[in-house]
Amino acid sequence: MTDTMSEETPTEEQRPLGVYTRPKGGNGWRDWVTTVDHKKIGILYGAAALFFFIIGGIEALLIRLQLATPNGTVLGAEMYNQVFTMHGITMIFLAAMPLAAAFANYLIPLQIGARDVAFPRLNAMSFWVFLAGGIFINLSWLLGGAPDGGWFGYAPNSGIVFSPSVGMDFYAIGLQITGIASLVSAINLTVTILNMRAPGMTLFKMPVFTWMLFVVQLLLVFAMPVIAVALFLLMFSRQFGANFFNTEMGADPLLWQHLFWIFGHPEVYILILPSFGIISEVIPTFSRKPIFGYDFMVFSGIAIGFMGWGVWAHHMFASGIGPLSVAAFSISTMFIAVPTGVKILNWIATMWGGRVKFSAPMLFSVGVISMFTIGGLSGVTHALSPADTQQTDTYYVVAHFHYVIFGGIIFGLFAGLYFWWPKVFGHMLDEKMGKINFWVMLVGFNMTFGPMHVLGLQGMSRRIDTYSPGFGFEAWNMVATIGSFIIALSVLIFLINVVVSVKRAKGQPPCPPDPWDARSLEWITPNPTPEHNFDEIPTVESLDEFWHRKWGTDDEGQIVRVATAEEVCQDGTATGVHLPSPSYWPLIFAIGLPFLGLGLIFNLWLTLPGAILIVVSLYAWIFEPVDDPDGPHGEHHSDKEEVSQEASDV
Amino acid sequence: MITKIIKKTWLALFTSALLLVTGCASGAELDTLQPQGPIAREIDNLLDPVLIVAYVVFFLVFGATIFIWWKFRDRHEDEEFPTQVHGNTKLEILWTIIPTLILAVVSVFTLITLSSINSTDTNEVMITVEEESVLWEPEVVVIGQQWWWEFRYYFDGLDGVDLSDARNLPPADIVTAGQLVMPAGQEIELSITSRDVIHSFWIPALNGKRDAAPGRVHPWKLEADEPGVYFGQCTEFCGLSHSRMRMQAIALEPEDFQIWVDEQLTDQDSDLITNEAVSRGLTVFENQCARCHVVNGVNDETSIGADLVSNAAPNLTHFMSRTTYAGGIFNLYEPDGTIDRTQLEAWLRNAPAEKPAYAEGRRGMPALGLSEDEIDDVVAYLETLGTIPSSFIIQATEVE
Repeated sequence: MTDTMSEETPTEEQRPLGVYTRPKGGNGWRDWVTTVDHKKIGILYGAAALFFFIIGGIEALLIRLQLATPNGTVLGAEMYNQVFTMHGITMIFLAAMPLAAAFANYLIPLQIGARDVAFPRLNAMSFWVFLAGGIFINLSWLLGGAPDGGWFGYAPNSGIVFSPSVGMDFYAIGLQITGIASLVSAINLTVTILNMRAPGMTLFKMPVFTWMLFVVQLLLVFAMPVIAVALFLLMFSRQFGANFFNTEMGADPLLWQHLFWIFGHPEVYILILPSFGIISEVIPTFSRKPIFGYDFMVFSGIAIGFMGWGVWAHHMFASGIGPLSVAAFSISTMFIAVPTGVKILNWIATMWGGRVKFSAPMLFSVGVISMFTIGGLSGVTHALSPADTQQTDTYYVVAHFHYVIFGGIIFGLFAGLYFWWPKVFGHMLDEKMGKINFWVMLVGFNMTFGPMHVLGLQGMSRRIDTYSPGFGFEAWNMVATIGSFIIALSVLIFLINVVVSVKRAKGQPPCPPDPWDARSLEWITPNPTPEHNFDEIPTVESLDEFWHRKWGTDDEGQIVRVATAEEVCQDGTATGVHLPSPSYWPLIFAIGLPFLGLGLIFNLWLTLPGAILIVVSLYAWIFEPVDDPDGPHGEHHSDKEEVSQEASDV
Repeated sequence: MITKIIKKTWLALFTSALLLVTGCASGAELDTLQPQGPIAREIDNLLDPVLIVAYVVFFLVFGATIFIWWKFRDRHEDEEFPTQVHGNTKLEILWTIIPTLILAVVSVFTLITLSSINSTDTNEVMITVEEESVLWEPEVVVIGQQWWWEFRYYFDGLDGVDLSDARNLPPADIVTAGQLVMPAGQEIELSITSRDVIHSFWIPALNGKRDAAPGRVHPWKLEADEPGVYFGQCTEFCGLSHSRMRMQAIALEPEDFQIWVDEQLTDQDSDLITNEAVSRGLTVFENQCARCHVVNGVNDETSIGADLVSNAAPNLTHFMSRTTYAGGIFNLYEPDGTIDRTQLEAWLRNAPAEKPAYAEGRRGMPALGLSEDEIDDVVAYLETLGTIPSSFIIQATEVE
């Protein structure tokens, strides 16, 4: 590291602060690995999440190939169990959560009028730790077998006796690593939202997206420690022979289930609320109306956040927890449908009477409304606990949560990708291909997961690597497999769209600042967002601040233009804005963690380089100078900004 | 009435679509919507009206979306804005309260059904056990292990029976595997537990599922209206051969059940030996199979166990009176009642090749390395264990 540093810093004498120096901003890969810019970190999150989304998708296709026909032989039982476990882990922890983190990182500071998050280096650390964790879990494929106990890892099947390969060790330690990333990021964004809002931006002038993400961060802060405890118990059981789940020593195997689902159910809302937030921005924009019932939207989100903690045992209606617990959780589950229903009705009311433009982001948002409704309604049938004993662990449940996770979350995230793509990259995605993308995905999605309702009611169990002919499962499984490849096609269309649009935009000036006639503050910056975000931190007067700067009402109450988008938008040319300097240490810290994991699994000596990397990087981090006059915007800056900078550069 | 009609239409819709695709009638052995007993029917009756409400809600939402697309789609080029509505508190309260009320009603019915399916309402059955009449409160102990089910009958009742350690259970009157035999028209109480990981016991036509967890005994019950074979499948992921852990509940007329009990209660000792091959088969059984498997009269549960993680392999007493083996995945008989020797021999030759298992990890039946002659002898011996069940059971076991 010293070499790199001396390369970048001409002479020690010129450095006014600190013993360690910080890398300078610049171009190329070094800029990306040292960046603490929330926007670049958001892009990194998005790229990594899409990469893992494709990996998880390939795993899904393998599952569908295996199940296309009875007595399938594509994978075999041993491989199938690893593939379906990794499909779940990858999609939840390595695709859906980080994709939401990508939007959160990029947009929250912009939506609240901040220059960055509260702790920029911690933010970088979150990303690198997540990536290290994701790579670590996937290393298991090469180092002795992937986890094979399901993403839910029920004890004692996840124990060393019943899962002797190293897979579940990678699961226990890998998810612990990605958990650190989520937890740190959640604290960071919580502080950001609470402390770094622009003047005038009260909590109830925050866009619904930021509100939903705020609820998500609070859920993460409380949910991640629970899974951390469960994973530590599992790790100690497997590595050091602890008896937390050893029933022969009197352990109760339901301990794991409770811990897992106390985390696991809030996790569902951690996944869905970002999508709710995204479409709550998209729908008003394309309906040319403000969001219907802003307060109710916000409070229903908060209500979901609270009630989400009281429903976990509905995953355990067949576990033998006793009729009284079942009754209580049955009722709480029933009523969590209410705030969710309120949201759906408010989105419909937002569109109602509007002048709705069904562009690609809007199509995906309407997709969320209708597809998530199906998932929500099948969810209500699970709340009927007696009926759930027929449904649970069948394909009916698989159908249900894919309508929620794919129909509700992935569609929402795609809406976000199409909506904010010009904001992030300065050019539009092709609209026509976007629409084709949507329709192909909608057809493929319904072909894949719709039949699973029928399969489940016909009695097809989950997590079976094959089935016999004669139970009536053949036809619908084939349909589902064909559907899954149509989904794959739609993702391919998206990737082609990205490539084509990037090529088309080469050499062209960036797209105009306000392509959608948008409403919230992030659009006040030019496209793509300059490194310093705002030339001048705006003073906020109303919800939908950006829209209100463009449009006003005349004496008759008619809406009239008061300014064009070009007039309202900043031009991004400000200089002298002080920004946090890049740092190597978040990355170095993150590299240390997988070594700790590998050491625990294979040879304790391997923990040594890991520990050294972690200790050194943390010390270096602490002693890193808070200010770097040679930073990317290192010209002289005002005292006021310096104060706010130092406060945020901890 | 309306629920019935809508359900019928709905089922017809799906079935017809299914027929269209497959071109042939398909099985419904595991169908959750075709209950064959009062408990499953009660569950189904709870679900049906809710499904209708769900359909209505869905079509309202979906219809609203379609209507918006038709009515409020932007067809203009100008910048004119629609009326800017920010919300409507009355409306919000209305659509908070209406779903709440609907769900409150649904909750009441859920709780009624929940309490009903968790209460026991068993009548004692008079059966004859070794020529003595016994009032048996129909209870069966169900034990899951990788990757098959065991069923134990204690005709003196379960009061003094310690089930807390499933790996070390007191001797039972009848121990069988893969097929739970019970009287029809009679509620049967189950005590479900496990010898290793968590499994889930599920006969969809008769009731929902209940997990089998080690160290815990979960009460559950079954009831079939009519005699028949009702299929099931383990539904909690339990490792490698989870998909190959199946079972059936066989409901019999009370007098047939008595016949079954009488047969199962007889020991199968050496006086069954009728020829040389059977005798040699018994020797192989004693030397190899008896390390894990029990045949009453040859060995007993105290003499086995050390070889397997779960401490148990299927009890093979009256093996031929069952129609499936190896965790319910192979049929012992052809539809015409002849034994499917090819499959049975293949299983004895190399079990892990027929059903994935971790034999080297002491989970599942290993390849025993028997010679072809030994395999023939063992099959000859197994054929002496019990009598062929009635043809209706054999035919009902066929699903293909």
